[in-house]
Amino acid sequence: MSSRADAPERTPLQGGNEGWAGERGEFESLSESDVRGSSYVGKRPPEGGAAGAACSYPFQVAERDPDAPLFEGPYRERLEKILSRYPEKRGALLPVLALAQELRGYVSPGTMDEVARVLELDPATVRGVATFYTMYNKRPVGSYLVQVCTNVACNLCGADDVMEAFLDAVDAAAGDTSEDGNFTIIEAECLGACGFPTAVQVNERYFENVTPEDVPAIIERLRAERGANGKEG
Amino acid sequence: MAYPYRHEKETVVLTRGFGDPRTRTLEGWRALGGYKALGRALEMAPNDVIEVVKASGLRGRGGAGFPAGVKWSFMPKDDSKQPHYFLINADESEPGAFKDRELLRWTPHQVIEGALIGAHAIRARQVYIYMRGEFFEPAQIMARAIEEIYQANLAGKDILGSGVDIDVTLHLGAGAYICGEETALMNSLEGRRGQPRIKPPFPAVAGLFGKPTTINNVETVAAVPHIIVNGADWYRSFGTEKSPGTKLFNVSGHVVRRGNYELPLGFPMKEFLYDVCGGIRDGRQLKAVIPGGSSVPILTAAECEDLALDYESVAAAGSMLGTASVIVMDDRTNIVKQVRRMVEFYAHESCGQCTPCREGTEWLAKILRRIEVGQGTEEDLDTLLDLGANMTGTTICVLSDSAAAPVASSIEKFRDDYLALFGRAPEAPALAAAH
Repeated sequence: MSSRADAPERTPLQGGNEGWAGERGEFESLSESDVRGSSYVGKRPPEGGAAGAACSYPFQVAERDPDAPLFEGPYRERLEKILSRYPEKRGALLPVLALAQELRGYVSPGTMDEVARVLELDPATVRGVATFYTMYNKRPVGSYLVQVCTNVACNLCGADDVMEAFLDAVDAAAGDTSEDGNFTIIEAECLGACGFPTAVQVNERYFENVTPEDVPAIIERLRAERGANGKEG
Repeated sequence: MAYPYRHEKETVVLTRGFGDPRTRTLEGWRALGGYKALGRALEMAPNDVIEVVKASGLRGRGGAGFPAGVKWSFMPKDDSKQPHYFLINADESEPGAFKDRELLRWTPHQVIEGALIGAHAIRARQVYIYMRGEFFEPAQIMARAIEEIYQANLAGKDILGSGVDIDVTLHLGAGAYICGEETALMNSLEGRRGQPRIKPPFPAVAGLFGKPTTINNVETVAAVPHIIVNGADWYRSFGTEKSPGTKLFNVSGHVVRRGNYELPLGFPMKEFLYDVCGGIRDGRQLKAVIPGGSSVPILTAAECEDLALDYESVAAAGSMLGTASVIVMDDRTNIVKQVRRMVEFYAHESCGQCTPCREGTEWLAKILRRIEVGQGTEEDLDTLLDLGANMTGTTICVLSDSAAAPVASSIEKFRDDYLALFGRAPEAPALAAAH
């Protein structure tokens, strides 16, 4: 038996890292940016960069405008890059729906129709596809969509309690948006981070090893980020 | 050197860069010898690359364990009449599985290098990496890596002066487990609902956009550069004769040190749980293990005693190695609750095409919920087994079978857990508060 059996089960939260709760085990010196890869990624250009990477932007983000024009300026350029990667226009449907949601925060029937026009598809075809996939929001959600994995691996480690803690912290029912418009909490199916239970997806980021005790700090951090962004914007 | 814990019994090949942010970059990957394999493969004829991978015995790491080189050899040898496509299945969403995410976020260039070599082998000029939409963070890392390879002429036209053209495109899914099924993935990539197709025709004949297509899991292609550089015999020096090589074992649930560990196939389960993973948390006893992701039958603690972790041994024990996603449950676990949760997942993720699956998963979930709150009867167990039997082998894909498997295996092996909820067991444990 290895002596490391006595290793601490959980890396304590460190200064400047509140509410991230990333389990770094024996890699404690890694910063949040190291684990997330944010310094390597840098800021991605709105026009899409290399065409092969243009179909892969986060489409669940806090900054959005439900009335934003689609496919104009740099986003028109990105649309052209996306279209260049598929032999049929229809192949671009998922990335184009994603682009629409990235800008507007959700995909309304009207938005689906706009997407249908630009890809020369029947509106019904686009509706049928958009409603099949859970990540396209069919109605507006809070600035932060908080998705708590309650599937088996996280569930074994207390995910139901984490879900409850988020609902309590924002005082809203599952699927409803908190009064301040900041948070929508929903249960998620397996997020593919089973070794880091409970895994929680907040817009484009994962928060890992979340316990009910971590939840207030996470909510506080998100509120602070929202406030800071609001001031900048 | 797996992340977030290491163990001296690991055989470090694919996980070498885990936990080291420098390895993500093109510079860092090259410092470890990265892209040498690509250079070598581009100098080889496509068929010769296939022969090396065939000889290595590398088996698909997405769950089925089909020999990768054999799969590649199904592709037509002439690509002058129609384009070929190479797809990387990065739609990791099997409950319990979290190995591909680690490969993608720590070693993006390892995955891309393997994808380029595979594309060359099957004469594809376009690689699509289909990644589940939730993986925004790994996707941004992969996107940056794609920017780097285009800048360095490792993708696009005339790669490294070889005359070979290969484009790489990262494509995000949008939240549908079923898209991990290979033909559902192809439909999704074509802009359709992710519904599996009837086979035949098989993808090598008519796959993506109706063209010859090969699809491999992330971990499968990540092994390819190492095989090209070090040779098939080197790869066969790890693992067993029928299950060669190393494998990422991703362990979750009630062990002390959860995470990814890279071990030779055939590693003993008991040593894995009690040494590598540090044993069961809080000094508890082992109750059950799901050895290969939620779609495979549950094993009891006794069945894990002498089990070896390779494809053949786990199959002989009545389960499957699958993605080697080991979900560990201690003696406090409410098996009925966890089975119900898994079944609800399949009900949510059923694509709805086939009646046995669409209806069956919902009914399984309803009956399990009833049992869980103490309103079930022993007759319900027969109904569950009957339903499960009608859901097995009756549908286009195996999602339906996967939903039925944990139900049948849990009733067979943990019947007392069900009986306890009917209030009939002599000493009913207080399951309501357990996880």
